[in-house]
Amino acid sequence: MTTKAAPQTKTGGFRMSTDKQETLLKLSILSLAAILSFATRLFSVLRFESVIHEFDPYFNFRTTKFLAEEGFYKFHNWFDDRAWYPLGRIIGGTIYPGLMVTSAALYHLMWMINITIDIRNVCVFLAPFFSSLTTIVTYLLTKELKDSAAGLVAAAMIAIVPGYISRSVAGSYDNEGIAIFCMLLTYYMWIKAVKTGKIFWSALAALAYFYMVSSWGGYVFLINLIPMHVFTLMVTGRFGARVYVAYCTLYCLGTILAMQISFVGFQPVQSSEHMLALGVFGLCQLHCFVDYLRGHLSASDFQVLFKATIVATGTILAVVTGILTITGKVSPWTGRFYSLLDPSYAKNHIPIIASVSEHQPTSWSSFYFDLQLLVFLFPAGLYFCFRQLTDANIFLILYGVTSIYFAGVMVRLMLVLAPVMCILGGIAMSGMLNRYMKDVDASPVILGMPAGNLAQGKQGDKRSKHKQESNFVMKSEVCVYSHQVAIRDIIFQFQIATLFVAIMCFFLISYTMHCTWVTSEAYSSPSIVLSARSHDNSRIIFDDFREAYYWLRMNTPEDARVMSWWDYGYQITAMANRTILVDNNTWNNTHISRVGQAMASSEDKAYTIMRELDVNYVLVIFGGLTGYSSDDINKFLWMVRIGGSTDRGAHIKEWDYYTPQGEFRVDKEGSPTLLNCLMYKMCYYRFGQVYTEGGRPPGYDRVRGAEIGNKDFELDVLEEAYTSEHWLVRIYKVKDLPNRGL
Amino acid sequence: MSHTRLLFLSFVIVVAGSARADLVNKNVETVVDISSQLAKISNKVTVENVGKTTLKSLIFGVPAHLKERTSFVTAKVGEHLLRVTETKLSGQDGGFWKVDLRSDLAAGRTLQLNIDLVLSRALVPHPGQITQKEKQLVLFEGNVYFFSPYLTEKQSLTVNLGTNSVESYARIQPVSQSDNKLNYGPYEKVQPFQEERLNIHYENNSPFLTITRLERLIEVSHWGNIAVEETVDIEHQGATLKGSFSRYEYQRESQSGISSVKSFRTALPASAVDVYYRDDIGNISTSHMRVLSDSVELELRPRFPLFGGWKTHYTLGYNVPSYEYLFNQGDVFVLKMRLMDHVFDDMYIEHLITKIILPEGCHSIELSAPYAVERLKDTLHHTYLDTKGRPVISVSKRQLVENHIDDFELRYKFAKVLMIQEPLLVITAFFALFVLVIIYVRLDFSISEEEEHSRVDREHKDK
Repeated sequence: MTTKAAPQTKTGGFRMSTDKQETLLKLSILSLAAILSFATRLFSVLRFESVIHEFDPYFNFRTTKFLAEEGFYKFHNWFDDRAWYPLGRIIGGTIYPGLMVTSAALYHLMWMINITIDIRNVCVFLAPFFSSLTTIVTYLLTKELKDSAAGLVAAAMIAIVPGYISRSVAGSYDNEGIAIFCMLLTYYMWIKAVKTGKIFWSALAALAYFYMVSSWGGYVFLINLIPMHVFTLMVTGRFGARVYVAYCTLYCLGTILAMQISFVGFQPVQSSEHMLALGVFGLCQLHCFVDYLRGHLSASDFQVLFKATIVATGTILAVVTGILTITGKVSPWTGRFYSLLDPSYAKNHIPIIASVSEHQPTSWSSFYFDLQLLVFLFPAGLYFCFRQLTDANIFLILYGVTSIYFAGVMVRLMLVLAPVMCILGGIAMSGMLNRYMKDVDASPVILGMPAGNLAQGKQGDKRSKHKQESNFVMKSEVCVYSHQVAIRDIIFQFQIATLFVAIMCFFLISYTMHCTWVTSEAYSSPSIVLSARSHDNSRIIFDDFREAYYWLRMNTPEDARVMSWWDYGYQITAMANRTILVDNNTWNNTHISRVGQAMASSEDKAYTIMRELDVNYVLVIFGGLTGYSSDDINKFLWMVRIGGSTDRGAHIKEWDYYTPQGEFRVDKEGSPTLLNCLMYKMCYYRFGQVYTEGGRPPGYDRVRGAEIGNKDFELDVLEEAYTSEHWLVRIYKVKDLPNRGL
Repeated sequence: MSHTRLLFLSFVIVVAGSARADLVNKNVETVVDISSQLAKISNKVTVENVGKTTLKSLIFGVPAHLKERTSFVTAKVGEHLLRVTETKLSGQDGGFWKVDLRSDLAAGRTLQLNIDLVLSRALVPHPGQITQKEKQLVLFEGNVYFFSPYLTEKQSLTVNLGTNSVESYARIQPVSQSDNKLNYGPYEKVQPFQEERLNIHYENNSPFLTITRLERLIEVSHWGNIAVEETVDIEHQGATLKGSFSRYEYQRESQSGISSVKSFRTALPASAVDVYYRDDIGNISTSHMRVLSDSVELELRPRFPLFGGWKTHYTLGYNVPSYEYLFNQGDVFVLKMRLMDHVFDDMYIEHLITKIILPEGCHSIELSAPYAVERLKDTLHHTYLDTKGRPVISVSKRQLVENHIDDFELRYKFAKVLMIQEPLLVITAFFALFVLVIIYVRLDFSISEEEEHSRVDREHKDK
């Protein structure tokens, strides 16, 4: 808009043409947004250090390190004996390697030009780097869907949207960090392909899709969305050669490429999640065939043939699908998929899925927390899309509607929703501002006075008359009266527009503030290092996790087996470099259940299990001294549930761990089963003598807010090997069997 | 027994040459300090030339069981250091050193010199395993007498224990214990090579930390900075922890785990800045830095307290300005820095590797070390903006103690004009990039006019 207002009096020295000015403006806004999206993710690095966050990223970091050091071939054939003892895990065939390959490639590239950066730093800064790229792709995509103005707004919005930042801060080295970029890139290529109908673009889309498949399991969403788009285009009669070329190329190439990822394997042709894509591919052929026949047959013949074909195809399809499902060629509906369609499915059937907090349904407040203004712009954006329906817009609408459903089902799919929210928000914001900025822009020109004077009222009106005649497009025979009315209208419009723009500015500013605040407060703590404020407002750092992990690394035998709840598995293998029994890749439910049983059993029963599993050390997280609430006692009921969910754990019943009133208590009132189980003893060993808070009896648990019920006990089969400074991590050594004859 | 010994002795004396019989240790005052993990022996020796010829050197030694444990020896006359070289005496399996006197010792003259030795690992924890509650007891096995190829007329020995709780000590009369000292002697007419075990079993809770490997990396930049990085492997080699570790007792009782090490102090050069302290899994947040007038003192706390047998590993790095250590005249540069630096008081280093990375383009490199070191193969190091790599000089040495902290000198040639190579490289790279962009933007690379494309687009929009 500003460029349009620029006068045509150009060509003096460095004065640029409007075209160039526009390019420059776009370029600078876009690069600012890209830089901002990188910078805003650095809070945790500045506050703490360049460190990997959370749990899963530690596994990714470890595998990346392996890949960078050992090369792809060894990585592909990697059998990891450090995890899932004694089963081990074939890493190469059970992960999406895209993330690791990306970082290792970047790492090698930089070393090639003698930039001797540490692999850890590559991993830490990969997610911010890719979110910069996402910003640019969002611009391109929105530009294809609407125009470059909307693209710029969308890019600026996605740069700081918390829903996306939550998964891509520096150090949060997870698949999602690059997957969102891949997803948007695929969409961009797809839209290009649909618009142009060129094989070139759809082949690129297939490549982008391949990258997406290699990096995140969420590619399933993508391979269902695109067929859905094609299907909708068919239904609305927009299907044509362009879409046919685009989809067939993408599907054929994409499926073949996707099957190259060993973790995906034959799923694209076998599993039910990919059937929509296959079905739509078939429909495309039919549609084209039908179109061809229609051109060569009479109407009545065609009708008969059409009906017959539909019935025949339907029957054959049903029979084939039935046979395949019965023979097990088509994989059954997996739990994760059911839980997408039915939010309560997982909770009722698979405790291990339900126990993960990010698999919980999203609450309303978290929508606002993660998206703020965008929640309200979303419908407006949809409105703008509907108003001017094109092939591309239909895609956007489908994307928006489906992803908002999925985000409602699972917290972690908020990530998929955030980009489309930004795109729609960008379209809405840009559309509205476009409408009103014209008035704000035009009025001062019409009235010929600076914007500031306008507020003073109407005495300016008469002065401006002569200017209008020269500038404003208006019939010269307009009378004075209507002239004044028109001017009043214009002024009114202008005031409304100013007000509107001001409100929008306010919203945008508050959006920025909100995003920055959320990023800084909620999403920038590494969770491996905890910090708290002491009485005098100075910062205390709890570095207990690393303290204990490093102790394990330095002072236990190289081949020691550590038993802990699966949450800490990845961290232990990565930081302590020791063998663990279960980890965050929860592929073997019975094994996890066995560990749960050990934790929930009494000491002697647990000892049998621990001998059976060949455990040397046991690690528990205990927050009772510091008040760290996500510790093992608070997760304990999940251990009980998962432990009791298999045959061998049938003796473990959740109700034994509750009081008769149905409460979960650790004090004297608590159930005796709980007070004598291994987990309880390991957490509270010698805690009964510790004074934690003034005015409270010794052994006061600050998380549960209760004095523990079982204080004076000794451990028979375990001995305390190490306890971290703030008692957050406690490590026990499993004693050997006593010598015979003693 | 004594007969054969005498025979043997006379044989040795004959073999070793006549010079030895010409000297007599008139008086030796020995002080043995075993209050830390090291045994520091200082001898104040008065020698007399009783022969007829002028002497230029003399010899002293340690008995065979201490030979491998001797880390450091010096000999001084007043404040002047004398040259000491390791030597062998045939027929003797002890360790011997030859001291070159500054001035010749004429017949009949006496000379007073100080001979200091530092023994590492001479204190053995006994018992080798203790629980967290127990105190650490160690056993020292030294030699009562000054071990010398010459006759010693009079010797006295003081042992500084640093504690008054002694389990047992060698009763070689006359001996007396006072407070935290043991006084032996004086003994008269001590024969050459006479050995008598000085066994002392006593309490010693000082940190028994051994640096099993220290890798010191010095990276010189001609732009005014020298980066130093030390990678340290530490092990507590005192009595190992038996049974469980109790955090409760460790926090409650000050006597619990008294021989464990919670933290130690490292002194860095006064000009050290940008200090970092980390390990394989990130920054270690428990350290304090104090800037003193002559040094920067760091209180380093490992992630966990070190009990007997526990290990840790960390990296400590800092920058110092180069003007303090790098001198030049024309194209000839001299780097004068410490081959190793202080890690903690009374430290003992098993294996030191020092690597010096010089700027790209240095040549004619000569190293002069303060003591004998093993020079490893020179390598090349590639890092930011390097083309052919930076020369790396590495040296290695085993068994070092604090007394080994000394400067090396590294002399090399470097053409100063090479300093602008790197900025030029960057400028060229960017220039090339911009030129490429300009060419790409200005020229049309398409083979055909894209009319069809725009037509399709228009159709599409109309639809």
